[in-house]
Amino acid sequence: MGIIEGEKKAFMTGNEAVAWAALVAGAEIMYGYPITPQNEIMQYWTRLAPKHGRKFLQTEDELSAGFTTIGGVLTGKRAFTATAGPGNVLMQEPMSMAEAMRIPTVVVVQQRGGPSTATVIYSQQEVTLTCFGGNGEGLRVVYSTSSHQELYDYTIKAFNTAWKYRFPTFVLADGYQAKMRESLVLYDPEERGIEMVPTEPFVGKPGMPGEDRPPAHLRNTYNIEEELEEVLKKDIQEYEQMAPEIIEYDEFNTDGADVLVIAHGVVFRSAAMAVRKLADEGLKVGYFRPITLRPFPQEQLRQAAAKAKQLMVVESAYGQLLKLVKDNLYGMDLPIHTHLRPGVGVTPEEVVADLRTVLEGRED
Amino acid sequence: MNPEELPKRVLEAYIGEYASGKSENAVNRALELARLGRKVTLVDLDLVEPCYTLRPLKRKLGEEGVTVLAWDTGEMIGLGETGNILKPEVRFCLRHPGDVILDIGYGSFGAQVLNLVEGAAEEQELKIYAVINIARPMTGTVADIVDHVRSLGRVDGLINNSHLGEDTDLDFIKQGALIVKEAAAILGLPVIATSVMEELAPSLGKTDWYGHPVRVIKRYLPQAFW
Amino acid sequence: MDIQPKMPKSWNAATKPHKFCPGCGHGLILKALGQVIDEMGIQDRVVFGCDIGCSLLSWDFFNVDTVQTHHGRTTPVMVGIKKARPDRIVIAYMGDGGGYAIGSQHLVNAATRDDKITVILVNNTVYAMTGGQMAPTTMPGQKTETTPFGRDVEQAGYPMMGPEMVAAITQEGAYVARGSVAKFRKLKEYIRKALENQIAMRGFSFVEALSTCPTNWRTNAEKTWEFVEKIMPEQYPLGELKVPVIKEG
Repeated sequence: MGIIEGEKKAFMTGNEAVAWAALVAGAEIMYGYPITPQNEIMQYWTRLAPKHGRKFLQTEDELSAGFTTIGGVLTGKRAFTATAGPGNVLMQEPMSMAEAMRIPTVVVVQQRGGPSTATVIYSQQEVTLTCFGGNGEGLRVVYSTSSHQELYDYTIKAFNTAWKYRFPTFVLADGYQAKMRESLVLYDPEERGIEMVPTEPFVGKPGMPGEDRPPAHLRNTYNIEEELEEVLKKDIQEYEQMAPEIIEYDEFNTDGADVLVIAHGVVFRSAAMAVRKLADEGLKVGYFRPITLRPFPQEQLRQAAAKAKQLMVVESAYGQLLKLVKDNLYGMDLPIHTHLRPGVGVTPEEVVADLRTVLEGRED
Repeated sequence: MNPEELPKRVLEAYIGEYASGKSENAVNRALELARLGRKVTLVDLDLVEPCYTLRPLKRKLGEEGVTVLAWDTGEMIGLGETGNILKPEVRFCLRHPGDVILDIGYGSFGAQVLNLVEGAAEEQELKIYAVINIARPMTGTVADIVDHVRSLGRVDGLINNSHLGEDTDLDFIKQGALIVKEAAAILGLPVIATSVMEELAPSLGKTDWYGHPVRVIKRYLPQAFW
Repeated sequence: MDIQPKMPKSWNAATKPHKFCPGCGHGLILKALGQVIDEMGIQDRVVFGCDIGCSLLSWDFFNVDTVQTHHGRTTPVMVGIKKARPDRIVIAYMGDGGGYAIGSQHLVNAATRDDKITVILVNNTVYAMTGGQMAPTTMPGQKTETTPFGRDVEQAGYPMMGPEMVAAITQEGAYVARGSVAKFRKLKEYIRKALENQIAMRGFSFVEALSTCPTNWRTNAEKTWEFVEKIMPEQYPLGELKVPVIKEG
């Protein structure tokens, strides 16, 4: 019997949407440590879990939340955690182990202001950290959502991406999405024809290790450079091979745009409203939105950018998306305007004003 | 509303599920009373990580004659990081003359939050109303609402606040009114009102389909983040 | 005639001889553990976790499922496994640095929560793999690479009394003991009781094993044995610090 019968319209916060999504995705255990603004994920999980035979462990810090999540995943359970800000900083240690050992962890990040404790409210300043945190190559999947429906959809998807490709997978949202209330449709993935990728234990398989089966000897430590390189080469190759299958993006009006706006997450909503308003006035503006920040939709952005005269990157950070954009457009000669508000929300009106300035040639 | 029907002091606490519309109902109730020329104090007792709160509305509500007992976000460091700090005067809010409307946040303790308010236990006139939105998944059915309200502790009435934000239509509110009515019957509680956003109110009149009074809600909280 | 003593069945013969230094106590502790696993017949139910530091060298030591984690993080990984699969017998194996310094918050909290896991912590008074620096267990006056004039407690603080601490913060179902490689049979008994306690789901189980590190102590065989047998117990008394209250029926 499904947890949700049919399609159910609901009005809720983004944090709750995550808890419900994890529930219907068949997550069996959550490990977590309190930090604003993700707390209601745990608070709703702990309200929902006992009714559905799911578990929860509140740990002593985010290091432990991440490492216990790894432990849960190693037993073949869909396990997840959620964090934000300074908690995300600590989370990078366990997630680098997950990256090294191809452990399919799922982490939901509700970005808050940084650096340090800063604000509990909102930002897009954890893009670099979530995409490239840890002492490795950023072999992870990062979905940037922009609405409650997407938080629900991509939390479900995150479990499947993680278990199918065995790279740690992040759902990157923010304090606004965490706390805002809006309506969305809850559904059981099965009823939509979404098949949950089966899980498999890394340890504790049946049989006598060393006799019926080889023992699992899982490690992240190597002796020599070449040994590490061999492992990384294989992981990188698999990552790059997987990338086209999971890259997601959205675009509008890119053909011959005088300005192509690039934004992600909740800021994309403001950017899209601004672009559509000006497009309705007949101005030649479009947008490009990366949904996967890792792997990044490089080819798609390059194609869109090739058709545009200039770009404008809009984000609630001081150049973290901008850095991704520049990296991925390397070699293309195109002016990039920016609207960068670290730790502060961006309204459609602000984007409209900046776009008009650029379109009218009143340079910033 | 007929002012004669109101008691000398209106003392009401709004309680309910997370994001059920407690604060919105409390704010609108306070303004409604203030517009009748009454002295009104609105009290922030939202203690579990409140983000949509009365804090950013303090000035606006003050201009409309409502005294708001709440911190200013800017005057407290780390709200949300340190939890919500109880403003000392909130503890003595029932000693304010005139009407007192309390906005009680959600949380495992339900109506026990009122233990923090001096005199709340003894005050006979204090009514505790549970705000119900059937679009909230944990209060979507009659059985869920009954369980939920029982978990809150003392409750004196229900308010049907069913809506889907901007996607709300009258049918949905009606569905809510029926479910809340049935839950109230099982709980032995009255339905105090059906709350309707102002855009839809003109098509409804003074009472809903089941005779519950209609309260018109103007949405303030979307502007009241942190 | 068998000259070589028998290797525990649960050991992974393919990775023997092991890589620990000559005279290192790890081999003895892992032998005690291997024998206990054999005698209890739990090889197919154990998940073994090892830390960073010399304990890392045990990552392929047994024919049991093994996870090598990060420095200090073996406890939470094993807690995570136990929560998700309570039918597994999980063993977190670590050194004094991993358990008492960088991972001390995990030890304290797992013990306090009464997580049903077994922690075996090797106390050899030094950070060995990094080259002999002071550890939380370095004894007052003891010379290491970062206490070249001996550990001055005024400056470098006091050593950690792990089992005493764990005994103080655990519930009545917990098992806490300090053994020594110098008392092999006792050590083995403690490890067995700790695992039995986990299987009975009575409470947190913790065994600190005093061990030898001649490489970093710069001691010969005789002095090594004297240090672990005579000197270390002066600071770290041996025995059971907490035996679970077993409810009959």
